[in-house]
Amino acid sequence: MALVCLRKTLILLGVEVLALVYRNLRARPVRSLLTLLGIVVSTASMVLFLSFGEGLRRALGAELSRVGPAILVVPEGAEAFSPGYPELRPETLEAIRRVAPSLGIVQVIPTAVFARGGLDPSSSFVFQGLPAGVTPKDLYPNLGLAQGSMDPGASGAVVGGGVAQRNNLGLGKTLRLSPQVSLRVVGVLERSGGLTDSFIYVPLSAIHAVLNTANYSSILVAIEPDRRAEEVARALEERVPGIDAQTTGDVMRFAERAVRISDLVRFGISLVALVVGGLLVANTVMMSVYERIREFGLMRALGAKRRFIFGLVLLEALVLGLVGGLLGLLLGQAASGLVNWFTLREVGLALSAVTLRLASFALLVAVVLGLVAGFLPARTASRIRVVEALGRV
Amino acid sequence: MLEAVRLHKRYHQGELDVVAVDHFTYAFPPGLTAIVGPSGSGKTTLLNLLAGFDVPTEGEVRLDGRVFSSLSEDERAEVRLRHMGFVFQQWNLIPTLTALENVAFPLMLAGQSLRERTERAQALLAAVGLEKRAKHLPSRLSGGEQQRVAIARALALDPPVLFADEPTGNLDSASGARVVELLLAQAQGGRTVILVTHDLELSCKAERVLHLRDGRLTRIETPSAGLTEAAQSL
Repeated sequence: MALVCLRKTLILLGVEVLALVYRNLRARPVRSLLTLLGIVVSTASMVLFLSFGEGLRRALGAELSRVGPAILVVPEGAEAFSPGYPELRPETLEAIRRVAPSLGIVQVIPTAVFARGGLDPSSSFVFQGLPAGVTPKDLYPNLGLAQGSMDPGASGAVVGGGVAQRNNLGLGKTLRLSPQVSLRVVGVLERSGGLTDSFIYVPLSAIHAVLNTANYSSILVAIEPDRRAEEVARALEERVPGIDAQTTGDVMRFAERAVRISDLVRFGISLVALVVGGLLVANTVMMSVYERIREFGLMRALGAKRRFIFGLVLLEALVLGLVGGLLGLLLGQAASGLVNWFTLREVGLALSAVTLRLASFALLVAVVLGLVAGFLPARTASRIRVVEALGRV
Repeated sequence: MLEAVRLHKRYHQGELDVVAVDHFTYAFPPGLTAIVGPSGSGKTTLLNLLAGFDVPTEGEVRLDGRVFSSLSEDERAEVRLRHMGFVFQQWNLIPTLTALENVAFPLMLAGQSLRERTERAQALLAAVGLEKRAKHLPSRLSGGEQQRVAIARALALDPPVLFADEPTGNLDSASGARVVELLLAQAQGGRTVILVTHDLELSCKAERVLHLRDGRLTRIETPSAGLTEAAQSL
């Protein structure tokens, strides 16, 4: 039965039908191209808008995969990686160290972050303070050294590859964190293509001196290989009050929620373009239906049923949607590449990504757009009365 | 056999009631039957009713004893596909399909495979002498050639009834003669060919000529036998 249905469908999707669709679109090339352009631009804008969310997800995943220690301890209620004023007190660090042996914690690294911002990305710096004896490689195992030393020591700074290149920070250059605190560049890292490219690693004491505090922004906790990060984090939260212990998974989940909300906002904006694209298709197909009323009347006279005419018109809209969607996807990908070229140059981060998931979604939206836009013209065409269509009244 | 039984069609034009076909009764035997009459006599409306393009206000159309005129639109389309062929005066071919594809179109609707319908369409085009024009779009064909393609298409599913509405109306005499020749051949082969025309010379070639006036069947002529019957006696 199913085979018979499939065979019938294939026959009805015969070369004559495909020829009808193709030649009808080709018979009015300017109109078809303009309509196509409408769908291409609306799909491309949607792809580009949504690619920022995908880019953020990908960048975050990549960043987190570079983090060595499994757990990040931040003040309770703080967002992950927030570079705000350090709030974790030294007593908290001591409390974590006390419970460390019983929880399988092998290393506790307090850090402080100090961001000096500017309107221009090239004048913005993020300093991460590390305790004595800890190098950036302990935090981010994938980092490689380009020049000098990996250890900032007591009065040095190790500069990320991106920021070194952007601000021409070579070995021996002086960095002024405040009027009282100046550091000399002792190491330059290789470019890694992530956020860490923009970091400058300095002694923790320097950050404390600049901010006039003994607090920490976050505490990184490394655990024994056979321990489960989630369990240790929950135990740590229970035993040390006033902290949030976040694992990579927690951070990802939090980020996913935030990115999803912004996805919805961006999709909402691109929906305007999509609606315009859909109206263009509906307009073109409807005009085409009115111009071809005699043709549809002839088909009905020859024995075509209503659903055949309906399907034929819908197929035309679908082809416009699909081809426009494919071209829009390519244009969106190109625009995303252009954005990445710019953001990589400016902040060392690929902000946009066209993933398989996004590409499939964009194509699906374009196809649905075609179907929805084609529905009304298809219904109109299928309800044409033979006598009126053929002028036989 | 196609039969019209007290077929009646009334239109409302504003407050006016216009009777286009007035209780027409006739059984169309195999062979060529011409329907003639002046403009506005109801020829086209009658053909619309006989072919199921429109439904009668009263009366019925029967095909092989089965009432055809009261079926749904899609059911009438199916009957047209399998049992009727059409040649119109103009707008005969689908402009974006080649001659071959136009002939294959009803075969596709009937569910034949690509190979079957291509072979059949090629044979039909050869039968009307257009095998070399198979890949041409209608816009590249002359009026006479277009009508011959339409005849080939009308014969695609070998229907028992063939309707021809002013098939030579837009043609020069040579092309018209070729079209008439093809239609006559079909009638002589046992098909019911119903020809609507106001060309008296053409109607003389029919075995029966039905005269319409104001929607009523006024006279039936059999030119070959030279007989005339009064329609009122039917």
